[in-house]
Amino acid sequence: MSSRIEILNDGGFRSDGRRQYELREMTFDMAEQAGADGSASVAHGLTQVRVSVFGPREAKMRSQTIHDRANINVEVGIAPFSTGDRRKRSKGDKRILEFASTIKSTFEPVIQTALYPRSQIDIFVHVLQQDGGVLQACINATTLALANAGVPLLDFVCAVTGGVHAAAPMLDLTTLEENDLPHVTVAVMPRTGRVTLVSMETRLHVDRFEEILRLAGQAGGVIHKEMRAVVRERTKGLVDAMGAGVRTSDFAEDAMVADS
Amino acid sequence: MQITFTSFPSQSGLRSAYASATKHATEDDEDAYMDVEPFDDFESDSSRLTCPGETLTSAQSFMRGHGTYVDNDDVISSVAGTVERVNKLITVRALRTRYNPEVGDLVIGRITEVQPRRWKVDANSRQDAVLMLSSVNLPGGVQRRKLESDELQMRNFFEEGDLLVAEVQAFFSDGAMSLHTRSLKYGKLRNGQLVTVPPILVRRLKSHFFSLPSGVDLILGLNGYIWVSKHVKESEREGEEGFDAEAVYSNRNDDIDDATRTAIARVTNIIRILAAHSVPLTDVVLLEAYEWAVEQDADVKGLLQEDVSDALVAAVTSG
Amino acid sequence: MAFKSLSKSEKAYIQASLQSNSSLRGDGRSLQEYRTISLETGVAPLANGSARLNIGKNDAEAGGGTEILAAVKLEVEDIEHGERVDQGRVTCSVSCSPAAYPLASSGGLDDLQHDYSTFLDDILSHPSITPANLGIVRGKKAWLLALDLVVLSDSGNVYDAMFMAARAAIWDTKVPRTRSVEYRAQKKQEGDMDVDEEKQSGLDTRQVKAATDFELEDYWDEGIPLVGREAWPICVTLNLLSSLHFLDATSQEEAATPLRLLLVYSVASKSTPALQGMQLLGSGEVDVAQIKKLIQDGEKHASQLLAAINLKLRDEEVRLTDKARLKFASVR
Repeated sequence: MSSRIEILNDGGFRSDGRRQYELREMTFDMAEQAGADGSASVAHGLTQVRVSVFGPREAKMRSQTIHDRANINVEVGIAPFSTGDRRKRSKGDKRILEFASTIKSTFEPVIQTALYPRSQIDIFVHVLQQDGGVLQACINATTLALANAGVPLLDFVCAVTGGVHAAAPMLDLTTLEENDLPHVTVAVMPRTGRVTLVSMETRLHVDRFEEILRLAGQAGGVIHKEMRAVVRERTKGLVDAMGAGVRTSDFAEDAMVADS
Repeated sequence: MQITFTSFPSQSGLRSAYASATKHATEDDEDAYMDVEPFDDFESDSSRLTCPGETLTSAQSFMRGHGTYVDNDDVISSVAGTVERVNKLITVRALRTRYNPEVGDLVIGRITEVQPRRWKVDANSRQDAVLMLSSVNLPGGVQRRKLESDELQMRNFFEEGDLLVAEVQAFFSDGAMSLHTRSLKYGKLRNGQLVTVPPILVRRLKSHFFSLPSGVDLILGLNGYIWVSKHVKESEREGEEGFDAEAVYSNRNDDIDDATRTAIARVTNIIRILAAHSVPLTDVVLLEAYEWAVEQDADVKGLLQEDVSDALVAAVTSG
Repeated sequence: MAFKSLSKSEKAYIQASLQSNSSLRGDGRSLQEYRTISLETGVAPLANGSARLNIGKNDAEAGGGTEILAAVKLEVEDIEHGERVDQGRVTCSVSCSPAAYPLASSGGLDDLQHDYSTFLDDILSHPSITPANLGIVRGKKAWLLALDLVVLSDSGNVYDAMFMAARAAIWDTKVPRTRSVEYRAQKKQEGDMDVDEEKQSGLDTRQVKAATDFELEDYWDEGIPLVGREAWPICVTLNLLSSLHFLDATSQEEAATPLRLLLVYSVASKSTPALQGMQLLGSGEVDVAQIKKLIQDGEKHASQLLAAINLKLRDEEVRLTDKARLKFASVR
């Protein structure tokens, strides 16, 4: 499928007026949603997702428990009106299941599941609008929702999409660009620079791949900075609201008792 | 009939940390990477904030506690919250999380399942708690022996949905807590309604049972479940003459007059407001808030109006 | 919802409070009072019309509320072989986020979605309320109006919320302006483009004299509002507790109420409301005389609810127009 729109014009601008490496406007919202232990809404340009985390809590089905760590359950719902053409996918849809398992495997090594044997952590993802970079938005939103729920994470996971147009790499693709270009979604853990996810459905030349991976790592750092600022702001807001902050003496005692 | 339509609040403010930015990935992003703050100011600043993946200190001179892990000789935070230090122990306390039980804690729970010789209880923790049949007092007195028939009629004591107040007794090897209600203060709850708040807002207090004027009793569960109910007269407390031992497992409410019901609704709304503003709940704060509400003559619903609730919060936090 | 179980004494407490002389509710509302409803239209840029609605989210309380997202998508549908020719049609489906029912099993959630979808679709797809301007080319093409709702959270009164969100999305919907076009084979004379269609072999396109299609008009606005949107139905749920009924129940109140009567009304301008649908939920019975009375009461509530929501929808329209104008000005 090729569109008539120029992906990258001679002036170095993309169809939506961005430069090659420019990311779309991102919004991160950590407002509480009814009932969830943690939640977050994330938008990259027009793409918008909402994630709610429940748990660690009692597993709904006993067969799902794992004796030495928590089970992570990811469910994805895609609003039928989220794409240009309306399409209703059922929950059992292969693509949705695959998408959910991608998110699960991204976070499995990051969440400290061993702290919660036999528990379950539910991650409910709802895609409300799609304009490219859906996986990237889901992963970033899941990171924030988990942090919001106080689930221990080794690090943030920050994802970004990269593609190549005629040897020129680009970041944070829209649907239009995704349709035309080979692209890959990369998730990094900023502290170590470790990559927890590379998801590619198109072919990409090996030389380009390396470049994209490097760029994605860099962009992940930029996204991380934003996400971290939001988490900090929320934490600070809560601490300030709790008055003089958390009194050290009280909680230190708790911690000692608990840790011993 | 009354209906009010409003718009969604604009994205900002305390309860919804929010940011929006457009970035160039190749911008000079030196500061995108950890601005590692020196650890020296740690002592002075007791509520230092941190995020998952942030290096806190060296693992050689400190020990890791909750909310941290060790990687390559560094103690690193795994949750967003405040850093606490006691001697060599570093912990990070998350501000929103499920309840972390400790032995001796007072909790309120809801029965989720009846199993052979035990109940499963939701107590807002990582797993359902367990209440053994042997850990409850049966009607007929503390000394009464357990009969086989008791096992067959466990639903006569507690059934699914029932609320109870209990104490954390011990932990199983998988971290699940076991509860007991072997005190006359504990047991089934009735004559009131439940409010839930983030567990961090309920501090460990001398007593978690207390009464407010206007005939309202409160039980503050450390797991964030709070029971607001009609006041039980001293003379009808456990051990006293008027105490009805048979009523321990009753599902029937006493007669409650309208004034008490209004008071209960008012206290419930006060707790909701304070919790929404992250005000830690103690007997003192609740009493102050209640008195303020009575003084202002704010009706139950009026409390939820933004200006009134803000004034309420300001009144209790300034004192 | 039934997924949240209450203890017997909690239920009894709620019931007794409602039935007491001063009819007390847990949050201090009167029996006929709604929680605050937040509403915003135009929330999904990829849809032809959309709305987000929340009942019960209070600034003073964190989280909470029943939240619904509704969106309308218009698709061109071939109706040559369909039954109804010119009108176009409406379909409606509901999906529930598992976050709205965190304790439900996956099967339970599917059942719930199915129940919601069936109830809404039965009522909303009825030809009597299908907007009049969904036709495009007579006998050939029409718009299929697909209305999708997402239940993001449920803190009670989800049916009223869904119908209100649907109404708001319908209100916000703009039908693109179209113009019929004729493709004509050169040799044939004009004027009989509709003749002889049946005789042609469908495969041999060279033989087709004329086919009729449409194109989108270039026009300054996004399109035309749906004709007949005022008559779009609205639901009032009466929660029945012996002889009294109350509105806008929270999930706790729902758990303590044995019976709910859903009444769906459509009010065309100035005429009396027409009952479009009705359903009794829960176990229990109501006698006929009482139902009559309830339908009358429901009518009153529906008129008031409609007046309130229409006011808000007009405000939203103004807000969106202003926003568009500002945006336009800033681009220039």
